[in-house]
Amino acid sequence: MKKTLLIALSLGVSVLATSSMAATIDPEKDRQQLVDFFKAKNPNLAPEEYINGAYIFSADKMAQWEAAEEFPPYLDAIDEGEALYNKDLAVYQKCFGSDVSKIRAKYPYFDEATKQVVTLEGAINKCRTDAGLKPYGWKKGPIAQISAYLADNARGQKIDVKIESEAARAAYEDGRNFFIKPRGQFNLSCSKCHVDNAGRKARANTLSAALGHTTHFPVFRAKWQNLGTLHRRYEGCQKNMRAVPYKAQSETYRNLEFYQAYTSNGLEINGPGYRE
Amino acid sequence: MISKMKHLLTALAISGFVISTPITAVASEPSAATIEEGKKLAFSRSKGNCLACHAIKGGSMPGNIGPALVAMKLRYPDKQKLVKKIWGVPELTIPNSIMPPFGRHGILTDSEINTITDYIYTL
Ligand code: HEC
Ligand code: HEC
Repeated sequence: MKKTLLIALSLGVSVLATSSMAATIDPEKDRQQLVDFFKAKNPNLAPEEYINGAYIFSADKMAQWEAAEEFPPYLDAIDEGEALYNKDLAVYQKCFGSDVSKIRAKYPYFDEATKQVVTLEGAINKCRTDAGLKPYGWKKGPIAQISAYLADNARGQKIDVKIESEAARAAYEDGRNFFIKPRGQFNLSCSKCHVDNAGRKARANTLSAALGHTTHFPVFRAKWQNLGTLHRRYEGCQKNMRAVPYKAQSETYRNLEFYQAYTSNGLEINGPGYRE
Repeated sequence: MISKMKHLLTALAISGFVISTPITAVASEPSAATIEEGKKLAFSRSKGNCLACHAIKGGSMPGNIGPALVAMKLRYPDKQKLVKKIWGVPELTIPNSIMPPFGRHGILTDSEINTITDYIYTL
C-alpha cells in the first residue's frame, strides 16, 4: 500500500486501480485506504472538510461559495418539498414514520430480502406506487425537492452505511469496480478525476474528491438552475467521459451510490447543497 | 472473449497506425498553415482539448492535471515518439494515466494527431 500510494501521489495515477488486484475487497479497509490517501495527498485538510466538494481546495472559491450558501437558491425547493411531502403525509408516514429528521440518514441501505441497494429516491417512489400514487421522475423536480426537504431535516447527522452480509459486500465491490474502471471514448474512470487528480484543474474546473460526494445531495447547480439528484450528476459525468450513461436508479448507479456513501461514512449530511 | 476481441482491435488499430507513419516520416518541415491548424485542433474543446489538462503558451484557463507542454523538441528528439505518445501506443502509455489515448480510441484521426504534433513540436 505504501509504495502504491507514493507512486500514485507522484504520478497522479490510480491508487485504486492498482490495489484492486486483491482477491476480495474488505470495505472497511478499503474506505480507510481512501481516507489515508487523501490525508497523505492533502495533509492540511481534515476528512470532515471534504463534504464541501471542490471548494475546499481554494480559499477564494470557498469564500464565494459560503456567501452563496447564506441565501442559497435551493430554499424554495426545500419549501416545495415540504409541501409535497405534507400533501401525501399519511402515505409517507406509513413508509417512513412520523419523524422527518430520521429518514435521510437511513439511506442508502442494502435490503437483505431483495438483495438490492435501496436509495432514498427509490424508497420515495416505491412508497408512492405501493399506495397507488404516480411515481415521480428520477432526476429533478418533485423527487429532488422531497429529497432536499428530508436532507435539510437531517443536517448534521452522520453518514452511516452498513455492510453486514456477503451480498452487501458484493454490491459495494460492484460499485467500486464501476468507479475505477476506465470507460468511454476518453478512457476515463471516475477515480482518475475524483481520486488521483482531485484538487487539480480540468480547464477552470477544480475536481472534487470522491470523499464526501454523497453528503450534500440533492444539489442546486447554477448550471442547471434547479435541483438535481446524485444520479443526475452521475449521468452528466458519464456523458463528459463520452461514455453511455446508465439510467438513474439502475442497479449500477445504486451500487455506485452505495459504494460512494459507504466511503463517506462518518461525514456529516449537509444537503441540499449549492454547486456551480 | 471480449478481451481477445479488444486485443485484436487494438492490434488492427496499431497496425493501421504503423502503416500511416511513413507518410509523416517523409513529410518535410510543416508549413505555417499546418502549425496554425494544429494549434486550433489542440485548443478546440471538441477535438484535442489539450488545455483541459496541459498549460500551453497562448492558451487561456489551462488545467494543471498534466505537465506543461514546453520544450517538446528537447524532450522528444524523435518526433515520431511524440506522435505515438499522443496516439496512445501501449508502450508509451503510463499505466492508469488520465491522458486519453487519442488515436487508439479514435478520438482524433491519425492526420489530426500528426497536425497537432507539428504544432506542439514548435513549443
Ligand atoms: C474528466 C473528469 C471527470 C470524470 C472522469 C468524472 N467526473 Fe465527476 N465531476 C467532474 C467535474 C469537473 C465536476 C464538477 C466539479 C466538482 O464538483 O468536482 C464533477 C462533479 C461530480 C460530482 C458532484 C460533486 C459535488 O461536490 O457536488 C459527483 C458526485 C461526481 N462528479 C461523480 C462522478 C462519478 C461517479 C464519475 C464516474 C462515473 C465521475 N464523476 C467522473 C469531472 C469528472
Ligand atoms: C484528461 C487529461 C489530459 C488531456 C486531455 C491531455 N493530456 Fe497529455 N498528459 C496528461 C497527463 C496526466 C500526462 C502525464 C502522464 C502521462 O504521460 O500519461 C500527460 C502527458 C503528456 C505528454 C508527455 C509529456 C512529457 O513530458 O513527456 C504529452 C506530449 C502530452 N501529454 C500531450 C498532450 C496533447 C497534445 C494533448 C491533446 C491532444 C493532451 N496531451 C491531452 C493528461 C492529459
